[in-house]
Order: sequence, then structure tokens, then C-alpha cells
Amino acid sequence: MLAQSVIENIIDAALSTGGDFAEVFAEDKVNSSIVLIGGKVERSISGKDFGIGVRIFKGTNSVYAYTNDHTEDRLIAMAKKASQALSGEGRTEAVKLQTEKVNTIHPVTFAPLDVAKSKKVAVMRDIYQVAKNYDQLISQVTIGYNDVDQNVLIANSEGRLVEDRRIRTRLSAQTVASNGEEMQTGSYSPGAHKGFELMEDLDLSYYGSEAARIAVTMLKADECPSGQFPVIIDNDFGGVIFHEACGHGLEATSVAKGNSVFAGRLGERVAPDIVTYIDDGTLPNEWGSQNIDDEGEKTRKNVLIENGILKGYLIDKLGGRRMGMPSTGSSRRESYKFAPTSRMTNTFIAPGISTPEEIIANTEFGIYAKYMGGGSVNPATADYNFAVNEGYIVRNGKIAEPVRGATLIGNGAKTLQKVDMVGNNLGHGQGMCGSVSGSIPANVGQPMIRVSEITVGGRRQA
Amino acid sequence: MEMTAFKERLFKAGSKAGFEEMELYYVNGEKFSTKVYENEVDSYTVANDGGLSFRGLIDGQMGYAYTEKIDETSIDLLVQEAKENLGILDTEDREDLFEGSSSYPQLDLYAEKLEQITPQEKIAFLKKLEKACKDQSEKVSSVNYCMLQSFASEKRIANSKGLDVQNKGNAVYVFVSVVVKEKEDIKSAQTLKVSRDFSKFDAGKIAEEVVAEALSYLGAEPVKSGQYPVILKNKAAASLFQTFVGSFSAENIQKGKSRLAGKIGEKVAGENITVIDNPHDEKRFSSRSFDSEGVPTKPLNVIENGVLQTFLHNRKTAKKDGVSPTGHASKASYKGTIGISPSNMTIKAGKKSYDDLISESQEAVVITDLQGLHSGANPISGDFSLAAHGYLVKAGKIVRPVNQITVAGNFFTLLQQVEEVGNDLEIELPSGGSIGSPSLKVANLSIGGK
Repeated sequence: MLAQSVIENIIDAALSTGGDFAEVFAEDKVNSSIVLIGGKVERSISGKDFGIGVRIFKGTNSVYAYTNDHTEDRLIAMAKKASQALSGEGRTEAVKLQTEKVNTIHPVTFAPLDVAKSKKVAVMRDIYQVAKNYDQLISQVTIGYNDVDQNVLIANSEGRLVEDRRIRTRLSAQTVASNGEEMQTGSYSPGAHKGFELMEDLDLSYYGSEAARIAVTMLKADECPSGQFPVIIDNDFGGVIFHEACGHGLEATSVAKGNSVFAGRLGERVAPDIVTYIDDGTLPNEWGSQNIDDEGEKTRKNVLIENGILKGYLIDKLGGRRMGMPSTGSSRRESYKFAPTSRMTNTFIAPGISTPEEIIANTEFGIYAKYMGGGSVNPATADYNFAVNEGYIVRNGKIAEPVRGATLIGNGAKTLQKVDMVGNNLGHGQGMCGSVSGSIPANVGQPMIRVSEITVGGRRQA
Repeated sequence: MEMTAFKERLFKAGSKAGFEEMELYYVNGEKFSTKVYENEVDSYTVANDGGLSFRGLIDGQMGYAYTEKIDETSIDLLVQEAKENLGILDTEDREDLFEGSSSYPQLDLYAEKLEQITPQEKIAFLKKLEKACKDQSEKVSSVNYCMLQSFASEKRIANSKGLDVQNKGNAVYVFVSVVVKEKEDIKSAQTLKVSRDFSKFDAGKIAEEVVAEALSYLGAEPVKSGQYPVILKNKAAASLFQTFVGSFSAENIQKGKSRLAGKIGEKVAGENITVIDNPHDEKRFSSRSFDSEGVPTKPLNVIENGVLQTFLHNRKTAKKDGVSPTGHASKASYKGTIGISPSNMTIKAGKKSYDDLISESQEAVVITDLQGLHSGANPISGDFSLAAHGYLVKAGKIVRPVNQITVAGNFFTLLQQVEEVGNDLEIELPSGGSIGSPSLKVANLSIGGK
């Protein structure tokens, strides 16, 4: 992407005014997205993202600059301009970069550019037919196909020069069910660190009919009651609740400045002993996986909570400087337009011993959240909120009628304490996670779990 | 690379490949952002970035491609990708490009003076703001965001049918978030200010406002679940309104994704509701003299005294409905295809102040903030069930703060049931000056709490 000598000159320019660390991040990414609505291909756009970011540290002060201009003199001028935000003695020793080889642990068979768009469209039509024909109540179906081929180069003043290629593909099915008066929606969006081979691995008829079934079920559902109830959250994307409620609070972004309820509590009990929480960027070909993070560190498996005891945080270089702790390979960013910071990759609750049947059978009255929607958390207070896309009442140990419009709210640290059953059916779901370094692909995961009490918001009185 | 020369080469390559009409959409900008934490510069970012997109027609079908690498080597990629993208389309709608208009409104959206403010002045302002927040109260435990962003950008749209328009804009944003602590109780509040006049920012006033808000939430508890009269404070009302503005898009109507389909001329809201889209207000930040297809913009009443007047159109949806385009074609960036979005869309202010709405309420829940709008609200059905916080009102007075509650309802039903419209329309929140609403009092919403 850039010649080694050019990168070395940029790093030297960046350290000309007293910075003690400089990094270059170059990105060349081809994106393609296709949208099929009502059986017709309505939109298809593709293009190239391209740019270079330069980051400089002095102690815990940091400066970031980026541009799309890749001419050497403009890049050096930008590095110099950025360095002027810091003051001090410049470094005289020139950097000498050493290429580090990355062995991919996420092999890809069919890169997006090698597959004709018409082949991608054929898959979209297949899943469209499944969803559309699921039920007469399905009034609209939108299918999206996105793929990304991202090439990154990372170099820094410690001599590191490393490159990585990340290919990701995602298919999404969104349905609308309508009875003429009301509309309800359903969706399913599987994705992976894979190329077109993902389409061969996926059971399209399963995802298409699930997306349609959710909308139809919710159209026929009654409003959810409000109040505080036991809540059973199913596996897979259900893990989004702990991603928001705990995961973000374990990132150096909030821990380093003490703006997290988990700050300064390593070794303390933060959850019941049935809870183990892990972030693992090495899971082969998973949506949130990559070989190296966006500072060039190898991704790894980080145990955050083990049997209820807080064991670790997710740490990037700058957060590590503030905390006096090493990086955990957790530095990520949306693109060269963002300085990287500590983020999750594939985060999940480890499987327990209860079967899903036991968990349901042990619940006299509560809410069963089969599919979760998105949510958000205030990292300072750990207050969270989540939508339930498909919910049911549990009565006398059995799943009863479906309910719509449920929202779960609570406090992350407190909810974690109230996990009282953990299932044995771990699954992962795919999402886009937003934070200070942009929107990045991340897996959330868990087995079925039960929380003894969560505030449920709905439109009906209990 | 010089844009006019690049355009000529690109269009030449395009017509060779069979494109009949072609357009170039180019954006370029400068950005600066910085954060202060504990009287130190915590982050500092400077950027110069942009990109361009190419679109072109063959047999009435439009192909798109874009690049951020603006040089010779990208011309082939743009033409080939656009052609392949076009090749898979099978929509029946036929498009063409706009030849331009003889007159465009003149808007002044760029303040020369703003470009003279140095990074040092901006950092000094943030340090002053952070200190002012801490000085407000001993309970301020942290100012967890104290940041400023400024940008200047230019946009040009030029096509083979003669359209060639460009504009320039700039603005500066300040965002501050404070955390207050009393024993184990932690609360926070945020505010966003935006301007083209840096001297308008008053650190003391911003600090006073945001810290007072955070302190007012200490000691909050849920209310009992039930039906309550609700006062949605301006910021909360605007964020709810923003979630549902897509319902006014003709594209969503035509695709069966809006409940407002077929309702023009009908009462879709109470008589006290008028919704205005005004792209010409120079004090706001989504103002524009032309839209993303180069069509001139104009102010529009979308709802007048409860009656739906129009949908928002681009050229394609207008053609399909047999109406004139309304100047609402939009592109999220050069990376997007043409869609539809409002400019500055607001619910028109009424007469009563926010304080009047409170003092005239026997019992009510005031909602100052809604969370989870991207997940707990269904933009198509209008249903919402959202986490919220605010205050409990009894006998005309705020008696205590409320948190850990949910508020649920349906936006389209709510529009019919607004009892009072406040006079406190603000344009800055939630999104920096695009969508706005005054405070709204609603007779009845479901609150989930204790």
C-alpha cells in the first residue's frame, strides 16, 4: 500500500517534536452492498475506501491525523503538522521497520471480487422466496448482501510492520407482516469472517423462514406486560445484553479513567460463580475475529470473568499506558478515520450445565426472550436498555403466549449478580458495535440464561 | 487532482463503456476534533478527507460506484463497478439525471471567521468548560466527555446534462458529559451545542446547565407501573420524532414501509400539530440550497393543523407518484445511493412554557431522555417501548427524579393525543440541528417501573 521507506519517513516526521511513539495505519478496502426489495434488485453500490492515519503518543497524550492523500510529501506534512500538537525534544534516531509475517487463522475460499454479483443476487432471490412464501401475512421482504475486503498495513516506531486482510460477508433478511391495520417486523442477519463460501455454509431456508416467522408471530402477539419478572434470555444473539451491560464496562476506554463500575476491582467477585465471560478474537472465521488487532497485536482469548471473579480487561496501547498494563490484542477501529481503542471481538458467556428445558421448567412465571434486538448502555452508570424482538410469557414451567413490544432495562452490574441459571447451549450472534472508534463487526454470544429479576417495559399492566 | 480535469477523463471512459448520462458527486473537507480530560489534551485529531462517487445511466438504469483514492488508477474501477452494479438491477423504475435549475436559493452556510479560531483557543475553551463543570458542585466526580469538533466541507455535483452546483459549509460542535456522585448513587447528563459563531459558546452557562441537570437526577427511583400523563421534554420529544421521520419519505410509502401511505389530506395528528421542513434557515445545520440530485430546495408544511399535506420526494419517487420533486433527495455520503431525508424538520412551537406544562399538571411523569431508540422503537409500526428517565410531578411541582422506567406507546397514536404543545423548540438536540420538537404533553402513556 505504501513503500517501506515512505512509512519510515512518516514515522520519523511524526517523532520530530517530542512524541515517544508513532504509528501508521493504511487501509485499502473494497465494499459492496446489494439490496433486493420485493423481489427486485433496487440498489447495488460498491467502491473503495482508502486512507492513511498517523498516531503519535507522548506519555498518555495522543494525537491522530488522517487523510486520503497518499503522496509522500503530503503525508509527511500531515505527520509534521500533527506532531506540532506535542512539544519537546525530537527523536534523532531513524526508525528501521521489520516485516512481521501473519499466518491467517481465518482462511477464505472465495474473495468477494472473484464472485460475480449475479451469483450473490441468486442467493438473495433464494432467501427472498423462502421468506415471502412463508405466510400470506408477509407483506414486504428486504434482503441485503454486504461484503468487505479490507487490507490493512500497520507500522510503528518500535519497528513493527505488519499487514492483514479481513474479508467479511453478511446476508440480512428483513420482513414486514401486515394484517391491513398493523405492521410488525422480523429480521435475521448472519455474517462471518468469510467470503462467498458463507452462503454455502448457511441454511438459507432456516434464516429466511425465521425472519418471516418472527414478524408473523409478533403480528398475532398481545402487548407485553410491564413489571419486574424473571427473564429467560435465549442463546446466540441474546448475549447482546451482557455485551452492553458488562462488556463495554470492561474496556480500557472506560476502565482507565475510572468511569466504569468494574474499575479497580480485579480479583473481586462481580458475578455468581456460574458466570464465566470471555472475549476471543481467535475463533476461526467468526464475525468479530481477526488475525491481528488494529495496532498489529495478535488477537487472543481473554478471560474477563472466571467463575464470577473479575480476571481482566480489554486493553489497547494507550489504555494500557494509563492503566500500567499490557495490551490484550483488543485495539480496533472502524477505519483509518478513527484512532483505535479497546473494543470487543467475539464476547460470550461460557456454557453452564442446565439444559434449556430445565430452565423453562423451573420458571413459574416470567418472560422468555427468544430473540433480542439491539440496545445501549450508559457506561458511567451501567444502566442499559434492550428490545426483545420475539418474546413469550412463561407460565407454570411452560412457554405460553407470545408478547410484543417488550423492553428490558436495568443496571449491568446488578443484573450480572442476578444470573441464576446458565444453559449448556452456547451460540454466537452477529452485530455491529458502536463506540468511540466507530462501528465494528462483533459477535455476541451465550447459552440460554435466566436472570431472577429484570424490569420489563411493555404497554399492558401485569 | 483537479476535479474538472478528472471529471472529463472519467466521463470519457464512461461513455466508451456505454454510459448515456453520467454524474460526479464530490465531497472534500477539513476536520478538527479534540477532547480534554483532567486539564490535559486527551485526544487531538486533524483530518483532510473526502471522496467521490460516479453514477451513470444505461437504458434508464442507474449504476453507482465510489472511491476515496482520487487518482487516474480509480477511473477504471469506477466505470467497471458502476456498470456491473447496474447490470444486476431489475427494478422497473426508469431514471434520468437532472439538467439543473435556472435559479437556486442563496444561503450563507459558511462563516469565514470560524476558520480563524486556532486549536489553542479551542483547547483553552474546553479546559475552561471542564473546570467550570467541576466548580459547579463537589458532587461532580468526572467530566467524562469534554470535546469539540469543527469541520468545513465543500460539495460539488456535476453531470453530463449540464448540472454543475457546489456549496460550502462549516460549523463547530461542543459536547460535554458530566458524572455526579452522592454516596453510591451515580448519575450523568450531557449536552451538545453547535454554532458557526465560536464566541456564542459560554462555558459558564453550559456548565451550569449540564451539572444542574445531572444533580437533579440524584436519588432517582422508579415509579409504580401504570398509565400516566406524560410530559416529553423538548429533547426527548425531538429524539422520538426523529425515529419516525422516515414515515414521511415517499420511498418508504411506495415500498409499503410506512403507515402514512394513502393518508394525504387526512388527519394524522391533532389540530395542534404542524410539521415544517425548512431547508433555508441559515441558523440551522442541515440547511441546503440544493439536494443530492441538484434539485433546488424549498420550505414545506408537511403536516398543517394535523392534516398531512405531502410526502418528501426525490426525482424518482416524484415521477412515480406524478408530482414535483420536493428537494429531499439525499445521500448519506458519496458512499450512498440516492435516498430521501428531511432537512430541518420541526414540530411547530405552541404557546405554553415547559414550566406551565408542569404547573398545570396534577400528576405527570416528565421524560427528559429516552434511550434505545434504535432498537426499542419500530420505525414502521410506530410502536415504541423505551428506557427513560426524568421527574415525577405532583400538584404542579416536580417532587423527585425518576429512573429505571420504560415508556411505551405508539408514535402515530401519540400524534393524535398531544394535549399541549410547548413553546420551547430547540434546534440543537438531539442530532445537531436537524430534527426538533417543543415539549409535548400527552394524556396517557404506559410506564413500566416498580
